[in-house]
Amino acid sequence: MKKFARDLPHFLTLFGILFAGFIGFTLFSYDKGFQIAVAIATASSYVIWGVMHHFLHKDLHFETFIEYLAVAILGLTILFSLVIRG
Amino acid sequence: MSVVKTLVHLFLPHESNNQKAKILHSSSLWLIAVFVIFSQIIISGASKVFPSVLGCASSISPEEVIRLTNEQRLQNGLNALSENSTLSSAAQAKGTDMLNKGYWAHFAPDGTSPWSFFINFGYRYTFAGENLARDFCSASDAVNAWMNSPSHKENILSPNYKEIGIGVVQGNLAGSDSTIIVQFFGARAGETVASIPVAKAQTLPSPSPVPVAALQIQSTPQPTIAATTVPEVGSASSILVSPFKTTKDVSLAVTGLLLAVLSIDLIIVRRRRIVRIGGRTLAHIAFLGMILAVVLILKAGRII
Repeated sequence: MKKFARDLPHFLTLFGILFAGFIGFTLFSYDKGFQIAVAIATASSYVIWGVMHHFLHKDLHFETFIEYLAVAILGLTILFSLVIRG
Repeated sequence: MSVVKTLVHLFLPHESNNQKAKILHSSSLWLIAVFVIFSQIIISGASKVFPSVLGCASSISPEEVIRLTNEQRLQNGLNALSENSTLSSAAQAKGTDMLNKGYWAHFAPDGTSPWSFFINFGYRYTFAGENLARDFCSASDAVNAWMNSPSHKENILSPNYKEIGIGVVQGNLAGSDSTIIVQFFGARAGETVASIPVAKAQTLPSPSPVPVAALQIQSTPQPTIAATTVPEVGSASSILVSPFKTTKDVSLAVTGLLLAVLSIDLIIVRRRRIVRIGGRTLAHIAFLGMILAVVLILKAGRII
């Protein structure tokens, strides 16, 4: 719990990024191009957040970076498939 | 390895998977992404091979589009638009033209403007506008999408228009089965506009191919009624599976499964105080939770 409280500013930043991405997707639902741009920006920000977070904790490893990248790419794949299909 | 051991290996932190569910390993996540891509290729292929099974199931009626459009106008203190059969025929012809020439735009590749359909059907206007939508599964989804777009909303809520015509056509548009809705607005020449508190409409000297909802004030030349044969609105009630819905179901299943495994992982790792190298599970849950929320709100259909 103490650890989470210490990480709270980090996670609030992450939640802010994700919330902004969600709002962007909702507000610009009529513009597929913008939705794709929002998805890429959000996924990139997520990976950057992960790298920064682990760098600050001094536990950044290549495997960790790959893990964030894999989650981001998977999320992007899901969003792209829906946006393009829609 | 027994079934239980396999399931534990896949979904729970255990010695066999280095205290991290195998499905959460980076290699597995890449594999799942490849699976999503392959599922899309299969859906695309199947919708071409079996167009009567996989396609856009649509039961959109022009009357419903007009009713919903007028509902929006009335809610905003505007007069309801009356249906004009000439405008409807012109809208139908525009939709058919898009299918025949394979374009999805306000202006045809050969330069044919939306307004030429008004003129060809003998509709002399002082104000004219066009909204286009495709691949929506219901009239309400299409009207809602227009209302969410400022330029299309401006058309729907313009006090300059008196009449409306809707064309709904179905067919193959540039290789994919589509349902196109053409919404034509107009005010006939010689008619006075009931109330124009604020002139929001743009006055354009000549039609310009802008990729947004078009709105134009222009007086028509002498009407020339073209003897165009307007095809009947197609019926796609036999289509069984929507590619979009299938994609959405696959996305929900993948995201839901990963979120469930991540949540269990978060609890077990904290309880057992497992120390391991890797990303923050809570961060992954937050990111995939956002993806899940977006998947839930996404709807099929495009507008221009």
